[in-house]
Amino acid sequence: MSHPASTELTLERVPMMGEAGRGKIKLIALIGIVLVVVAVVLGLTTEDGKRHLSFAWLVGATFVLSIGLGGMFFVLLQHLTRSGWSVVLRRIAENAMWTIPIAGLMFLPIVIPTVFGYSGLFPWIDAAWAEADPVVSKKTGYLNMPFFVARYVFYFTVWIFMARYFRKASLTQDQTRDPAITTRLQSRAAPGMLVFALTATFASFDFIMSLEPHWFSTIFGVYFFAGCTLSIYSTMILAAFFLSKNPDFGHLVTKEHYHDLGKWLFGFVFFWSYIAFSQFMLYWYANIPEETEWLVHRQNHGWGYWSLVLIFGHCLIPFGGLLSRHVKRNKKVLSCWAVWLLLMQMVDLFWLIRPLMNSHGVHFGLIDVATVFGLAFIGLAYGMQLTSKQPLIAHGDPRLRESLELVVQ
Amino acid sequence: MSDQAKETRLHGVIAEYHDVDGIMAAAAKVRDAGFTKWDCHTPFPVHGLDDAMGVRPTVLPWIALGAGLVGLAGAVLMQWWMNAVDYPFSISGKPLFSLPANVPVIFEGTVLFAAVTTFFCVIVLNKLPRLYSPLHHVERFKRSTDDCFFVVIEAADPAFDEKKVASLLEATGADSVDMCHEETGGGDLPKVLVACLIGLTVLSFVPFALAYRARAKKTEIPRFHLVKDMDHQAYGRAQAESKFFADGRMMRAQVAGTQAFGEMIEADSTQTGKTGPGENDWAQVIPIPVTREMIDRGKNRFDIFCAVCHGYAGDGDGAVAVRAQERLYGAFIKPASIHEDPVNKRPPGQLFDTISNGVRTMKGYGSQIVAEDRWAIVLYLKALQLQRNAKVSDLPAELRNQLK
Repeated sequence: MSHPASTELTLERVPMMGEAGRGKIKLIALIGIVLVVVAVVLGLTTEDGKRHLSFAWLVGATFVLSIGLGGMFFVLLQHLTRSGWSVVLRRIAENAMWTIPIAGLMFLPIVIPTVFGYSGLFPWIDAAWAEADPVVSKKTGYLNMPFFVARYVFYFTVWIFMARYFRKASLTQDQTRDPAITTRLQSRAAPGMLVFALTATFASFDFIMSLEPHWFSTIFGVYFFAGCTLSIYSTMILAAFFLSKNPDFGHLVTKEHYHDLGKWLFGFVFFWSYIAFSQFMLYWYANIPEETEWLVHRQNHGWGYWSLVLIFGHCLIPFGGLLSRHVKRNKKVLSCWAVWLLLMQMVDLFWLIRPLMNSHGVHFGLIDVATVFGLAFIGLAYGMQLTSKQPLIAHGDPRLRESLELVVQ
Repeated sequence: MSDQAKETRLHGVIAEYHDVDGIMAAAAKVRDAGFTKWDCHTPFPVHGLDDAMGVRPTVLPWIALGAGLVGLAGAVLMQWWMNAVDYPFSISGKPLFSLPANVPVIFEGTVLFAAVTTFFCVIVLNKLPRLYSPLHHVERFKRSTDDCFFVVIEAADPAFDEKKVASLLEATGADSVDMCHEETGGGDLPKVLVACLIGLTVLSFVPFALAYRARAKKTEIPRFHLVKDMDHQAYGRAQAESKFFADGRMMRAQVAGTQAFGEMIEADSTQTGKTGPGENDWAQVIPIPVTREMIDRGKNRFDIFCAVCHGYAGDGDGAVAVRAQERLYGAFIKPASIHEDPVNKRPPGQLFDTISNGVRTMKGYGSQIVAEDRWAIVLYLKALQLQRNAKVSDLPAELRNQLK
């Protein structure tokens, strides 16, 4: 190539988050906490508000979790494929992945009530109901409270262990610049990816699909995963955009990096659509009542409009919008699409979870908005807090030069 | 080709550079000098050279988009025409033109059109295939695929002036500047090759011509089969002559002393419902165990085969009968009720015979329902008749107590 290969490269100044960014963390956290308090007060004071709150809470918690899991997927994928282009961006995903512990805390208000027999979210928590139901009674070996709680503990233990392992190794490399760490993480990423795929799939079954215990879809885990990946690419684009004013960071992330992130985003917009349609079409074609039940819930009583929002907002419009390379190479326009797709991920999770609350209508309210955005802001503030403590770039990585000189044509 | 001296003319001026920076600077200068027919040759893609050369953005993305949209529209139209217009056929009760079912083909059509068009347009836009370039006469140009960078300004450029161009390129810091000459007609294909290509092109029309002739012409000769499919099967036709069998007949008689599966054994009253040769020698006894299971079996068969005309209770009010009455189909005779005279008086053997061989317009079901099941139906009919006129005193004691 035009430049002589070099294994060693040291940044003149290690980029750190500036004061302006740090100052916003407390404000964002405060907004999040206020919104959550508003939601909880509304939930405890209004009629049937507790159940409404628990559904909205599940939407918010899975939203925060999906970004963390997306981050884990991204980090594992970069190590697994020995990617050089993404080194300057990987720290963002590493921080996103380390928000999984706080997502685990957010799931406690979902899991703890089930221990005390609250079956407002998951009807099968009520063992008597499950035994009486001809279909669910066959599934009680899996769908029962103790096993559910044990799986919750297992998933988050595994995720936190993996996230800590990969992030800590990367932070250590900032100091030691040891290329052996990169080799080691590469070999650990392969089993890590398998564990990630299985745990994320079954977690989506447990936390979302089991809301309707009669229904089943083998592709559901992939569907949830598609949402996770879209969320992390959107998050990374936005994080890079907001950090681009940082004089030590902004010039390192070039148009080429945005272009690559944009290509991932574009690809996964269609991946999501492909998976969503695959799930829909088989059930629509076979037209078997136990399978179409799920779609019936999402096409009637106002939910049909939300389905249309997904078809257009999550598939067709961003597909057209992200088609051009000029969009992908323009960080401002690309950031707009990232915000849009994060909103769509919220809508998607809302569409997956909320129809179960009430079969007679959507009943969209302040409680939904306050809970989901409240939890999202708390997760964001936590992620920014993590970002502010460490260098913005994994600058000890031996492939840093490759990433800085990234050229896409 | 021969080594004879040929007439040559100037193709262009070729300048050599030894690094990326050199060719980038030179490209910018040539661009600014306003040349249009010129190009850069590099061993690998050089980032930013497009801008330095002032190359316009390629039109390829728009072609791909257009082709994708054509594929999309074509796939929609094709499926609409095939499924809803030309050959309407209800599948799983879905609408004839049903978008969800069409999406996979629309997707494939879009991708196929966009990909194939892009593939061929890349070839066309790059002016490929190109079998000859006079640049290869310059010995050092071979290094353009190894470690050297070249700028070539063609003599065909309207602003071309041999001396000015050479001095311009020398001023850009070129390592060397050479004149590149080409033989007149050097780019022509060998005559043998041209003749072969024309011959192959003409020959390629022959199969189409033969196919057209075969379709347009009438002939006595049997069709020519490339694939020996279902037109050629190893079976003998009915009534045909056989050269294999001694009697010369293709159709074979049943071998003496054998019986086909399900074939009726005439002599047995359980197969005929008759105890003797007389017209009214009907069996008075049902020759199967009279149990709850057999009645249920009979109900099951009756509901499948009989109820559609006779009705579920045997009143002659099945769906077919009701429909026929509504439409006033003249030829349709309402099925007799099993609860009215004369049917309710008929002995089991006669009912069995009716089921087996049919009566009036009712066809026989002997070939469809095995004998034991026909008796089960008779048993069920008898139970229905009994139930119709049942009194409380007919019930067993415990059921009678439940009624109270």
